Amino acid sequence: MRGLEPEAVGKVVGIDLGTTNSLVAYVENGRPVVIRDESGDALVPSVVSVGDDGTIFVGREGQRRLLSAPSRSVYSVKRFMGRGIEDVRADAGLLPFSVSGAPGGVVRIGVADREFTPPEISAFVLRELKHRAEEHFRKQGEFDFEVDRAVITVPAYFNDAQRTATRDAGRLAGLEVLRIINEPTAASLAYGLDKRNRGTVAVYDLGGGTFDISILKVEDGVFQVLSTNGDTHLGGDDIDRLMVETVLEEIAGPKEQDAATVEAIRRAVIQAKWDLSDVDETEIRVEPSRWVHGGYRKRITRAEFEHMIRPLVDRTLAPCRQALADAGLEPKDIDEAVLVGGSTRIPLVRRLVEELFGRAPHSELNPDEVVALGAAIQADILVSGRREMLLLDVTPLSLGIETMGGVVSKIIMRNSTIPATGSETFTTGVDNQTAVDIHVLQGERELVVDNRSLARFRLRGIPPMPAGLARVQVQFQIDANGILSVTAHELRTDIEQTIEVKPSYGLTDDEVERMLLDSFEHAEADFAARLLIEERNEAESVILATEKTLRAPGFAEIAERDLAPGEQQRIESALAELKAVLGSDNRDLIHDKTHALNDATKHLAEVAMNRSVQAALSGRNVNEM
Amino acid sequence: MLECRSCGAGAPVDEHFCPQCSRILALGRHGDYFAFLGLPRKLVVDASELERRFRELSRKFHPDYFYNASPVERLASLERSSYLNDAYRALKNPVTRIEHLLAIEGLPSPKSEEGTAKVPPSLLEEVFALNEELDGIRELRESGADVEALRVRLERARHPIDARREQHERQLEELSARWDNQEGASVAERRATLDALRERLLERNYINNLLAGIEREMTSLAASAGPGAGSRG
Repeated sequence: MRGLEPEAVGKVVGIDLGTTNSLVAYVENGRPVVIRDESGDALVPSVVSVGDDGTIFVGREGQRRLLSAPSRSVYSVKRFMGRGIEDVRADAGLLPFSVSGAPGGVVRIGVADREFTPPEISAFVLRELKHRAEEHFRKQGEFDFEVDRAVITVPAYFNDAQRTATRDAGRLAGLEVLRIINEPTAASLAYGLDKRNRGTVAVYDLGGGTFDISILKVEDGVFQVLSTNGDTHLGGDDIDRLMVETVLEEIAGPKEQDAATVEAIRRAVIQAKWDLSDVDETEIRVEPSRWVHGGYRKRITRAEFEHMIRPLVDRTLAPCRQALADAGLEPKDIDEAVLVGGSTRIPLVRRLVEELFGRAPHSELNPDEVVALGAAIQADILVSGRREMLLLDVTPLSLGIETMGGVVSKIIMRNSTIPATGSETFTTGVDNQTAVDIHVLQGERELVVDNRSLARFRLRGIPPMPAGLARVQVQFQIDANGILSVTAHELRTDIEQTIEVKPSYGLTDDEVERMLLDSFEHAEADFAARLLIEERNEAESVILATEKTLRAPGFAEIAERDLAPGEQQRIESALAELKAVLGSDNRDLIHDKTHALNDATKHLAEVAMNRSVQAALSGRNVNEM
Repeated sequence: MLECRSCGAGAPVDEHFCPQCSRILALGRHGDYFAFLGLPRKLVVDASELERRFRELSRKFHPDYFYNASPVERLASLERSSYLNDAYRALKNPVTRIEHLLAIEGLPSPKSEEGTAKVPPSLLEEVFALNEELDGIRELRESGADVEALRVRLERARHPIDARREQHERQLEELSARWDNQEGASVAERRATLDALRERLLERNYINNLLAGIEREMTSLAASAGPGAGSRG
């Protein structure tokens, strides 16, 4: 049977889909490697921007447009994944894009005249990573360079809706999501590769938007998570926002906020935050603008910075203690502590972790890259059949159902190893009742209203019988992704029930299908956007080279001796023409003008090159004599 | 007997893989966590041995290793892994371990009587005294009495309950050891041990509820301590 199934030929990658930055990695000759761009940069900013003509810009280009077109650009969308409008109102304040949505439904993000759901925005980032990986494999000369499958990481404390939203984003990006794994566990895999020892490990992961703590036991190559805890709303973003608000208070300017200025302030405070990881004092510097006339400059010391962010960092301590308690451990039982996430570069964070666990934490692997490396290892385990390592993760939140009086009855407890199952038997309250409504929740609190609503569904097809006689067993299955599915059957008649699950904060399968169709329609535009960017980059480099040559000290001499009459004028007008069309969206036009400039400068380039070769040769001769 | 859904051969119910084609078997209606983990039906379990078996079987069943397998095998891997995780969780904890033993030995679950208000006869005296004391403290708290003094009274009321709970833990341990040594004993003797275990579990649940009631009153006291202290100052 197995031999008859078609073999998948595409590549498999591991993806860290981060709040601030995203990365893609794969396993090459048994070792995980992060894929970088030409300049050696592994990070793709998780920023998506929509051009005037609807083209989509992602990553560095999207980040650049945060300043030039802030109202058309989206960042930190991970905070909105699997959430409702009531969860994110507090976040929406300082953001340049609009956030809306019906109560109890999926958040909608408005950019210009288009509306997106968070999974759609994330899918743009994933598509960029897919493209980056495919380019990498193509350049390596691989015949099958298409990337069609991925392991994607999520914060360990993500609930079912957030995980499902991430999986939907993968589907929308044209990826088969092999597995959703937790970021701290992925990091432990990357670390475990070198240290094949046993022990108890605490992984402290403070990223751009989320905080996780996971306690693992490592033995015989099995990475068993004992407990996990966290805060899906705590990270570097909160530090930035706190600093931005402080600066805004000090600039007692007009109250209406200008998105570009807020973005400029955000960049300035982020730079200062980074500086303070290395030096004891720095300056927050915002250039003068229409809104901040004189600009803004303020010195800040590391001590002041630490005092300011201390309450935020302290919020990570309670989850750490809870995770230890749930694992039945004391801080002294932890053999190793590992730091993950860009925000763990902050010295205060390192100090607190060291104090808490009584040992210096590990940070040998780049805290930005370690999660993607672990995801790549997990992807390789899934497709290659290698068995030396196994990840056993847990579900971060208890799963329950609503019972009488708005109370939650727990069915699967938090920190249960996944996959896990649980079941509950229901009966009917009135004679001949054929349906029962069931409300599934996730969380630790007693009352329904304090927990996360995951789904409501109606059990139908119960055979008519007197009240209380039917026995409907509902089986809950949390799979290895931490995602829930539900089945049910009536025990007396053994009839399988049909269950229609309506996710409270997720997309239905129909919606995902529709978005997939939409994305195919837009795929052409997105592809065109990429080609346009590449064409512009090419044009810019030709312009730069030409201007450099024209301004070089020896140019006047070359022009006089070697150039034909009118040649310099032809070059200068070709240059001016290319510069004039550079900002347009007409790729063919840019392409033609680039070619024209290339042709016009061909002779000049040869002459200049000969000159420099001669100069180099004569230089050496001088030295040799 | 299980039927292998890959090759159709029959397999004993405690096997994980088909003896014929060596593919993973569907779970079927398994109910015995001890047998599933290859452990004797005993209540004193060596924790490191349990963990070793859990890891060993995880390596055999986990869905990670069945990614390229047929849908039938993938489903079997998911079922067996889930069941293994449930089994490990149940046997790791001494109380849930006893509950599982009672279930597979055919005794009604202690949980089924949890909701009934019946006080175990052996606890009648303590329950009566505690409830009276709790009522008294509640009344005094609501009429604004000194919170610190009430807290001391509540602590004192807790002591006999704590002592009963410790006594129960010891009794559960003794009974567990007795069960493990009764392999050659008569059915009636073994049944008597199981009945005693079940009695102790019922009492234990009741004691835990009493302690929870004391805890709730503690919380109420702490809550009324805040504004009370403020009004005096």
